[in-house]
Amino acid sequence: MSDSSQYPMGKYAGKQPIYRYQSPTDSLLDGIEFAENPEPRCPCVLLLDTSGSMQGAPIEALNRGLQMFRDELIRDSLAARRVEVAVVAFDSGVRVVQDFVTVDQFQPPVLATGGSTYMGQAIHTALDMVESRKAQYRMHGIAYYRPWVFMITDGEPQGEAAEIVHQAAQRIRDDELSKRVAFFAVGVDNADMERLQGIAVRAPVKLIGLRFAEMFLWLSASMQSISHSQVDDQIALPPPGWGTV
Amino acid sequence: METPAQACCWRALSVSLCGVSHQSLDLPCQDVHALRILDNGVLIAALADGAGSAKYAEVGATIAATRAVEMLSAKLTANSAPDEEECKRLLQKAMQTAKEAVEEAAAGREAQASELATTLILLIASPDFIAAAQIGDGAVVVSDEEGKLVMLTSPQSGEYINETSFLISPGAIEAMQTEIYSGRVKYLAAFTDGLQRLALKMPENVPHEPFFQPLFRFMEKVTDEQQAQESLTAFLASPRIAERTEDDITLLLATLRG
Repeated sequence: MSDSSQYPMGKYAGKQPIYRYQSPTDSLLDGIEFAENPEPRCPCVLLLDTSGSMQGAPIEALNRGLQMFRDELIRDSLAARRVEVAVVAFDSGVRVVQDFVTVDQFQPPVLATGGSTYMGQAIHTALDMVESRKAQYRMHGIAYYRPWVFMITDGEPQGEAAEIVHQAAQRIRDDELSKRVAFFAVGVDNADMERLQGIAVRAPVKLIGLRFAEMFLWLSASMQSISHSQVDDQIALPPPGWGTV
Repeated sequence: METPAQACCWRALSVSLCGVSHQSLDLPCQDVHALRILDNGVLIAALADGAGSAKYAEVGATIAATRAVEMLSAKLTANSAPDEEECKRLLQKAMQTAKEAVEEAAAGREAQASELATTLILLIASPDFIAAAQIGDGAVVVSDEEGKLVMLTSPQSGEYINETSFLISPGAIEAMQTEIYSGRVKYLAAFTDGLQRLALKMPENVPHEPFFQPLFRFMEKVTDEQQAQESLTAFLASPRIAERTEDDITLLLATLRG
């Protein structure tokens, strides 16, 4: 069982001001959302690096991949009502581009690039969002699957205090250990894979070229199979045709 | 697996159905039940839901359910009036027997016991009390003579919907639910997790009246069991149920008469 009470604030709050996710307060609307669709939820946060170096072909491929992710999942009517997507972009700040919505409501954003790589804050934000969403599920009696955070970056943390990144990594370790979340990291191009290794518990995957399309197809297939699963089988990563470990 | 349910007091129907997702993924039905009503009026039942991820789930579920019911039948046939405490002990033993049978079957296949993972609900229903034991999800609900619904056992699951405990999980027998309802009941229902979201009201985790009351009224009117069995199967296979659940489902309904 999870103990969500310690999040999102206390334990990991750094000395520096960190962008903090404020959960939506319109609980009446949530009530309608969950009443209309009482299916169990399978939450997935896409944590996307939009720093300057992603400019050009990488961000275009990523944007196309997002569209494909949505198009694949929407074809499975059950997955479309169970898989919830949130999109968080990070560069010299952290933006919740899309808060959690089921796939049938999801309009993939078109992301632009620019700035630094506030990865640590972004991770905190994603983990805050996950905890906050779980609390909403519980409040409305909605069953759920273990949330995924799927981070894609072409670099390493930049422009923020080392302490924030350190805390973020520590938090991933805690949350993986207590099964609060499954955190995946994908490195693109010149990403510092060794650094990513130190941040994520699971071995980061290096994207081959700009195979975002294949990666998102794989991700949608994984989400689809989890959203249909009945018992605890944490889906083992199949040998991805889009990356190397 | 079933014996005709025609003894003096209990009248029972039970159905296991393959779910939509299992059909589309070409998985066998991993829900299994076994039911017996002894001459002395005691009803014995087992409901097992094999783990979707386990390779031999349907084997594990079948072995667990049949072996537990066989063992309980043998013990209770000889004992004309078992008391509550005795039944509790028997349920514990039956779980152990089922677990060992599953482990043996795994060894025979050179498989891990986890490849035969299954949940298990066991019931002993006498005219005077109900004893239930459960590992994993699913639930047992009784209706007293005033029509009040009581949740006897409830789903044991982790934080996430797709995790639960299994018969072969370490410590599962020690941690299993064993519950007694003392007194006479009018109806008894047990079901696997495929029906959970229809049969239970969440987050309160209480029986959902609109689900049970029509079923119990239906049981009241049963005269031809064959036909009733077919009606119940048709009901569970109907689109209205299927669109709310894609898992295998098992439902046992019993009513005490006379």
